[in-house]
Amino acid sequence: MSTSKGKKLSGMQKQVLSLYRGFLRAARSKPTEDRRQIESIVSAEFQRNSKQVDRKNFLYIEYLLRRGKKQLDQLKSPDTMGLSAFNVSSSKKQNAKT
Amino acid sequence: MALRAAVLRHIQVPVQTLTATGSKPLPRWSLGASLRLFSSHDDHLTKEEVIDRVLDVVKSFPKVDPSKVTPDVHFQKDLGLDSLDNVEIVMALEEEFKLEIPDKEADNIDSCNLAIEYIYNHPMAG
Repeated sequence: MSTSKGKKLSGMQKQVLSLYRGFLRAARSKPTEDRRQIESIVSAEFQRNSKQVDRKNFLYIEYLLRRGKKQLDQLKSPDTMGLSAFNVSSSKKQNAKT
Repeated sequence: MALRAAVLRHIQVPVQTLTATGSKPLPRWSLGASLRLFSSHDDHLTKEEVIDRVLDVVKSFPKVDPSKVTPDVHFQKDLGLDSLDNVEIVMALEEEFKLEIPDKEADNIDSCNLAIEYIYNHPMAG
């Protein structure tokens, strides 16, 4: 449980990092301007959750992972230009408070 | 008669194409040249070049104090980065050296030294 302090990554941490990598990879295929915007939104979102979400709240992290994977699939579609439609910040804040 | 003529014509076709390609040395030569370009073990990046470019990428990372960056620094212990920043640095290195590093290996690259070793030993690094 508390292995996150050492340098060995837990399975769940690996999943989160892999998802983050997936987002950054998907962003590369977009035009430069969209890419920068996607990168800054995604980066801010992951950084914020890494600070706010309790590391032992596995159910909630699993939920975030599932939701992130769906969003990533959407982003991978060539028609998707950016992330503005996600509205992530507002929905997450409510979740984080409960 | 007609059959014989047809057969002859049929046979002539491959012979003609064979001699046609055989008499043109240019395509074969250019193929060899491009192949040599791809298997570039002899003109591979030097270690010094890899070190310089890895350090430049790490120094240009916004959260990093460039004066702290040496080939021996650990991204998280010495530069105060977290695992998400680590992912970003490895991805920036991928772009710098035109590589795609698989997740399993990317997760292990957590210091300048490991990054330099990995890239230096990678046959496709450019």
